Amino acid sequence: MKNKHLHKIFANVKSFPSIPFVASKIFGMLDDEDVSAEEIEKEVKYDAGLTANILKMANSAYFGFPAKVGSLKQAVVLMGANRVKQLLLASCMNAIMDKEIEGYDLPSGELWRHSIAVSVTAEEMVKELKFNDSEDVFTAALLHDIGKLALGRFVKDEIKEIEEESLKSKSFVEAERVVLGTDHAEVGALILKEWAFPDDIINTVRWHHAPDESENSSRMLDIVHVANVLCLMIGIGSGREGLRYEVTQSALERLGLKLGHLESIASRTLHSIESLFIE
Amino acid sequence: MEYVVSVGDMKLGKEGDLIITHALGSCLGLMVYDPVAKIGGLLHAMLPISRINMEKARENPYMFVDTGVPLLFKLLYEMGCQKKRMIIKAAGCGNPMGNNEMFKIGNRNYTVLKKLLSKNSLLIESENIGGTISRSVNFNILTGSIIIRSAGTEIEL
Repeated sequence: MKNKHLHKIFANVKSFPSIPFVASKIFGMLDDEDVSAEEIEKEVKYDAGLTANILKMANSAYFGFPAKVGSLKQAVVLMGANRVKQLLLASCMNAIMDKEIEGYDLPSGELWRHSIAVSVTAEEMVKELKFNDSEDVFTAALLHDIGKLALGRFVKDEIKEIEEESLKSKSFVEAERVVLGTDHAEVGALILKEWAFPDDIINTVRWHHAPDESENSSRMLDIVHVANVLCLMIGIGSGREGLRYEVTQSALERLGLKLGHLESIASRTLHSIESLFIE
Repeated sequence: MEYVVSVGDMKLGKEGDLIITHALGSCLGLMVYDPVAKIGGLLHAMLPISRINMEKARENPYMFVDTGVPLLFKLLYEMGCQKKRMIIKAAGCGNPMGNNEMFKIGNRNYTVLKKLLSKNSLLIESENIGGTISRSVNFNILTGSIIIRSAGTEIEL
């Protein structure tokens, strides 16, 4: 049964939509220190939806600027190029993820809500645990489930078998692998390879359900792994598979995460998450 | 009227209203109904104990079981519901797979609920609790009927 779908799944990855041209162009500009905020603004302003979405997120309670961020130029100055890049990507993902995902039974918009929720939760975890490294957990978290977009229709076709496998004490992602020969984490990593994303982000997406199986253990990976399960528990983006995932004990130990931290993070994230949703 | 209760929220309804909540994972869904007054409420609480974040609990008592449940009952009593007629049903409180106790927030939500109810001599009439599933609840305030949906299945609570 395994190989019945594999060929089609990987073909699907090849034909997966690319990041919008304007976004990839701006990514390059944000990496280039010589490019001014004005030049970036000039590039984005032709895409009114993109600008509006970025500004809406920049003005959300999550970032908590006292004055209104009125332009993209101001956003770059106030938040820094890196943050604007994250919001730009979030806005592009909103367009790509904003559809019903069959197989996982996620209604339209729910995958994006879940992705933003895991990003915010991951950042709250960095704060709670007082890590001061600048790893881009936001971006990795935002993209962790992108494989579901390409795998959903195959999951739908085989949902009976996947659920039967999952009943044998397997997580949903393990059951996907048994029945389909691959899983949404691997497919997600393949898509990001096509998009030429950095290796640490690809590694996090690839192993977000099984951090101990990665050859490149990283804090970013452990954080996204835990933040994802916590968001599913809160019910943001939990679809057909419910809570059929397991938390890796060693990841918790590496992070030094305790019960008090977990519930404190959960209590603080909800409001931030709601404030970031683009309608 | 149809009301949708989001995470960390509560809605009251009267005869003819429908109260819905989606995606109860480890959260508690508590449905309380007075069949004579035909008034009911649905609480969707996320965490067991408010002590973890008192500031949030003051802002939003429905986020926590220990502050949300008493407030739900208080408001129902103020609307004329009577304790002896209350029908109490519970759903949700799931947990991820595995034995990690830290992540069993669902179990802790349920334990705090049971303690609160027993302290007030109240009993749960029926429940659909635990496991690794995500549940949605449809609470019809006219009839008191409660439908739980999960992964393509449907049961009446």
